Amino acid sequence: MTRRVYLDHNASTPVHPEVVAEMTPYFDEMFGNPSSVHGFGRDAREGIDIARDRIARFVKVPADQIVFTSGGTESDNFGIKGLALARGRGHLITSAIEHHAVLRTVQALETQGFTATYLPVDAHGRVDPADVQKAIRPDTIAISVMHANSEVGTVQPIAAIGRIAREHGVAFHVDAVQTFGKLPIDVDAMNIDLMSFSAHKIYGPKGVAGLYIRKGTKMIAIQHGGEHERRRRAGTENVPGIVGFGKAVEVRGRDMHDEAVRVTALRDRLWHGIAARVPDARLNGHPTERLPGTASICYRHVESESIVLGLDLKGIAVSAGSACTSGNVEPSYVLVAMGVPIDWAMGAVRSSLGRSTTADDIDYVLDSVEPLVRKLRQALPVGAA
Amino acid sequence: MRYSPTLVDHFLNPRNAGMMRLPDATGEGEYSGCGDLARVFLRVLDGRVAEARFQAYGCGPTIAAASAVSELIALRPVDDLVHLKPEEVERALDGLPDDRKHAAEVVTEAVRAAAREWLGRRI
Repeated sequence: MTRRVYLDHNASTPVHPEVVAEMTPYFDEMFGNPSSVHGFGRDAREGIDIARDRIARFVKVPADQIVFTSGGTESDNFGIKGLALARGRGHLITSAIEHHAVLRTVQALETQGFTATYLPVDAHGRVDPADVQKAIRPDTIAISVMHANSEVGTVQPIAAIGRIAREHGVAFHVDAVQTFGKLPIDVDAMNIDLMSFSAHKIYGPKGVAGLYIRKGTKMIAIQHGGEHERRRRAGTENVPGIVGFGKAVEVRGRDMHDEAVRVTALRDRLWHGIAARVPDARLNGHPTERLPGTASICYRHVESESIVLGLDLKGIAVSAGSACTSGNVEPSYVLVAMGVPIDWAMGAVRSSLGRSTTADDIDYVLDSVEPLVRKLRQALPVGAA
Repeated sequence: MRYSPTLVDHFLNPRNAGMMRLPDATGEGEYSGCGDLARVFLRVLDGRVAEARFQAYGCGPTIAAASAVSELIALRPVDDLVHLKPEEVERALDGLPDDRKHAAEVVTEAVRAAAREWLGRRI
């Protein structure tokens, strides 16, 4: 049996055993529809209420300001479209390196008469708050900037951007899918009005996420139907998922700090090991203001997918920064926006560590990467890439 | 695994990878869609491939295809290689997924170009 090392926690995480235990009875014992008035329904409703309270305590907001959705993508769509459509017209500000759930939502709104500014980032992938200030116009209605980027892990100066948004009376949405439960977030101190966060990035189940909506924020629902979620998001709740989400958040409250310290040390062990052994490798993202477990590394003149395949054959799961789909390969738009040269960007490989990652795992990866990259480079055409 | 054991073996243990000193012919193939590039070097004796080496940049299947083709064309008459088909390379890899067919095309193009160069030089 090949050894297996999972270093793709930014894509998804294994569900925590305590979360599985909490969810299980909600599949076949407390399976009622939470909108039903009978006992089965009340049991399910109670499960949702407990989960919402746990999450609200973690975020330090009233429980009625948390809305459950089907995933981070829905939360981003709901947040941004909800803000925009409630105003009818206006200008949106976001960054060039947002997740597609934000970028394509803003682009879709542009086709409906809204206008948008896509802020550049520096070589570390950081938005300059001064650029946000400069981009604000009299008709600016919303700013949406991610807390941390999933590919390179760079953490944005959210508090500074939030201050600018508040000064101008502009609503501020933050996609915190990659940071929620990993880094402390204070929605009041950061002036966050809306925040997207997801369960399956923090050892909860897939198919459930949340949107924090600050009281008084002018919003409309984008999914219509029943009276669920205080008429903000119609549709029967994913009860087991929400219950699991609540438990996952509670566990994060307990484990987050210690894990961040441990995982950051492993992340740095990985990068320093590669820097010492593999020539022509560079670390992407901010050297310090970065997600604890994220290390995006470019191997010059090597195509990332060949590294991902080579490591997969060693049982190691990482993700490629450039993707060859249907014979069309594009370097990551995030790395392009950061100004990473193409011959480096094509060889980007992201490792994202998590609670199960050990120092032994990292050493196994280091022992596997060096000979693989050396072999791939031996076959390179001179001057390729 | 979406790739055949044969493809994986060629990728992990590429045959004939690297440059050749003073080759009798070289050829390149490029796939503009994704920037994959293969270069083939031929040593020719009595009109047949005595030795083939390759260099490749690209995804795993392209590296594997270059390795496979370097074995596939050994001892073959160079005249025939002008008509080499990507399907033959694909068969040597025990198949390619639909979205990786270009791997066989890139290396086939490189072999054909090398064969054309050698034939042109002979004339």
